[in-house]
Amino acid sequence: MTATQRPTLLTLGIGLWVLLLASVVLAVAFGPADIAPSEVWQTIAHHLGLVADTPVSRLRDAIIWDLRVPRVLVAAGVGAGLALCGTVMQALTRNPLADPYLLGLSAGASLGAVVFLLAGAALLMPVGAFMGAAAAMAFTLLVTQVLGGATPARAILAGISVSALASAATSFLIFWSATGDSYREILSWLMGSLSGAVWSDAVTVLAATIFIGLPVLLSGRALDAFAFGDNAAASLGVDVPRLRWLLLGATALLTGVLVSIGGAIGFVGLIVPHVVRLATGSRHRVLLPVSMLLGAIFMIWSDTAARSLFAPRELPVGIITALIGAPIFILVLVRYRRMT
Amino acid sequence: MSGLAVSEVSVTAGGKMILDGVSLSALPGQLTGLIGPNGAGKSTLMRATLGLQTLAHGSIRFDGADLPAMPRRDRAKISAFVEQSGTTESHLSAQDVVMLGRIPFQSVWQATPSRDDEHAVAGALEAVNMTGFADRLYQTLSGGEQQRLQIARALAQQPRLLVLDEPTNHLDVHAQLTALALLQSRARAGATVLLALHDLNLAAAFCDSLAVLHGGKVVTQGVPEAVLTPGMLRDVYAVDTSVLRHPMTGRPILAYNAPSNSD
Amino acid sequence: MRTLPQLAGLTLAVLASNCAYAQTAYPLRIENCGFPLEIAAPPERVVTIKSTATEMLLALGLGDRIVGVGFQDGPVPPQWAVDDLPVLSEKLPSQEVVLEAEPDLIYGGWESNFAADGAGERATLQAFGVGSYVSPAACRSVKPAKLTFDGLFEEVDEIGKIFDAETAAQALIEQQKAELASVAADSRGLTAVWYSSGTKTPYVGAGNNSPAMIMEALGLENIMADQDEGWISASWEAVVDADPDVIILVDAAWNSAEQKKRLLAENPITSQLDAVMNQRYLVLPFPASEAGVRNVGAVVDMAAQLAALDFTR
Repeated sequence: MTATQRPTLLTLGIGLWVLLLASVVLAVAFGPADIAPSEVWQTIAHHLGLVADTPVSRLRDAIIWDLRVPRVLVAAGVGAGLALCGTVMQALTRNPLADPYLLGLSAGASLGAVVFLLAGAALLMPVGAFMGAAAAMAFTLLVTQVLGGATPARAILAGISVSALASAATSFLIFWSATGDSYREILSWLMGSLSGAVWSDAVTVLAATIFIGLPVLLSGRALDAFAFGDNAAASLGVDVPRLRWLLLGATALLTGVLVSIGGAIGFVGLIVPHVVRLATGSRHRVLLPVSMLLGAIFMIWSDTAARSLFAPRELPVGIITALIGAPIFILVLVRYRRMT
Repeated sequence: MSGLAVSEVSVTAGGKMILDGVSLSALPGQLTGLIGPNGAGKSTLMRATLGLQTLAHGSIRFDGADLPAMPRRDRAKISAFVEQSGTTESHLSAQDVVMLGRIPFQSVWQATPSRDDEHAVAGALEAVNMTGFADRLYQTLSGGEQQRLQIARALAQQPRLLVLDEPTNHLDVHAQLTALALLQSRARAGATVLLALHDLNLAAAFCDSLAVLHGGKVVTQGVPEAVLTPGMLRDVYAVDTSVLRHPMTGRPILAYNAPSNSD
Repeated sequence: MRTLPQLAGLTLAVLASNCAYAQTAYPLRIENCGFPLEIAAPPERVVTIKSTATEMLLALGLGDRIVGVGFQDGPVPPQWAVDDLPVLSEKLPSQEVVLEAEPDLIYGGWESNFAADGAGERATLQAFGVGSYVSPAACRSVKPAKLTFDGLFEEVDEIGKIFDAETAAQALIEQQKAELASVAADSRGLTAVWYSSGTKTPYVGAGNNSPAMIMEALGLENIMADQDEGWISASWEAVVDADPDVIILVDAAWNSAEQKKRLLAENPITSQLDAVMNQRYLVLPFPASEAGVRNVGAVVDMAAQLAALDFTR
């Protein structure tokens, strides 16, 4: 059986960039407020200095420029970042079921967020989330060392136990303190939601994804070396422990930022690398950037669905990514079976 | 001095001395086998040549250069390592796997394989007789084919030193013989090949020099006829053996005498 | 504070009640939130969960029947307050704690109070000989009809029947009707949003429970009235696009009106709303926001707040 015919990488790359830009432009036209797409684009052009006048009211202008545009940008950044982290985690742990949250990051972030919320500092939840993610990561590394050193298996085990501990603590806090509507807020956080994204969030997410993502992209070839284990990678000249620590650190940092803004959005980091592998194979030099592009596009449309499908109601975007992600995962598994 | 010179190497782990003053040499143009019971330290010695194991004592030199102290990329350009071919979840084609061997030569900024890279990969695939397999998915190949591909990957590094850790354990007879013949031909072409082996008859049939590792020390090194004596086999492996001669090659053939029920 | 007309009305009602209203016939069988409830005799020992339940009984003068309260949302208004109500738990009490008070009826303000990890499931309680009553407006398993003040008064009446206190029930209903009638619905066609909680996604009052009922009585047009739910998680975009003239803030201990005002002022998009820039807020305490005996008082209070709002800028 031959490998699947891989589309010319150049075509794929260009195609995905075009699709991403088109997605950004189209997605901002969707939303509960009844604004015509042409008015949306004119307003954006006005803010970019291309057009003299804005055709809509002050409030609608704010809706477009202060709500929709940053939100779509955050979605793109979060999707790209999570897909990148998922791909890296799957390579580092040599486990196809790995996702960015493996090392306790999302459980820790959720705990941090819930603590801040219940303490009355709801507006500072992102800070709490980031601190929680960092603490969980540190704890996971500590446990890994106690278990004898940073191997993939030990890291996964440590991550699972830290996640379980953080989740239990979160559940306890919810049970103990949450009254009334705070259940809803917490649930929305745990499922992941991009609502309320503002320009500072967009800048944070995009900056993190680009500045952390670019160096990670350069390690693509070295990540390939991990395919057959640590000894093989070392024999190819890769500094295995250092690279592993650097990549883990980068992934943890980026995931921490993303989760602190969007909550624990699931399935993106897990599914997107698998879909891309079906088309491009496992060479990370290709897999990493293509995963980022596809992750961004997927997230933009999932979030658009989350905020527009049931307008004026809003769903947490994590529900959409799960509803779409799970069937796609099954399809990917079926295709894997057919290929081998 | 050319070839691999391991001199008085000691390695400890967890307070236990795994290698205790190991010395052996592997000359270019020869297939040097490393044999010994399980747990004797063969894998540890292999990993030490890769720079993966800190030496408590001793030195490992290749062509006069200190191998573990070398920058890892430089080391990867002159020495290659092959293990028992592992499984991988990666969806790599045969070509991709062999191209991995070019990693030490590719800079981070290099977007596509260079002409040298393509050339080395093609040459490696030809050397293992798998040129037609380039587009096949690694996961769909048989065990023997996968092992030959791992050797091809090592060959793509164009190494002067090839270190292999029991690469044929899990293969069927035909695949074992093919792989070892391949390694022998690489040695004849000028490479230094150090090969840890489990099967003593294969070691006898293919190796030019055999070193026996036992209790963390090399107890003897020499040509197979000299090393594979009933006395050595009794001391090191605790087996009773009759040593025969191959009618055509003259190499030793070991016939194990089963322990009698009355013992 | 009671006004003279209200006192007069109350007196008349009380005088008239003894001859006008029948006693309850026991055993009383009613269908409550999908559960068949049989009351053999007027309950003597009641555990109330949530403020709406407690206040209902206190407003009917049945405070002496309460043997335990749980999960209260705030202090009882002074006109109905009694001393020393035994508190079983700050949060949802467990089944054992509730049963230890030996109630013959548990009155829950939320249907979820009757979960296995709360007061206990209703069938289980019945097997113990303990009745359970869910505030009809809070029923979730059987979707209640759109809540109106008439519907609310029917609940008061039902409680009156259950406790053989129809006199007091009718008195309370008459009094609240009079209070309600004294409020003139605003006729300026103002739109409003009922902001209950939530930071990233606002949880707002929708079309068919107490928020809608109160807004209608105030003469405010609820921007989410067409949503057939009690409350929904809406998007800020929908709220901002509707540009409500007035914003109603629910003041809860875990999410205060002040916090909400700060959030609205700091959020780059809501800070541009007219209502936010001019502080056109109406505030009510959380316990008064759920269906119960405090809704009428809330309407009166908020009508006064509404009248005091400045729309000239």
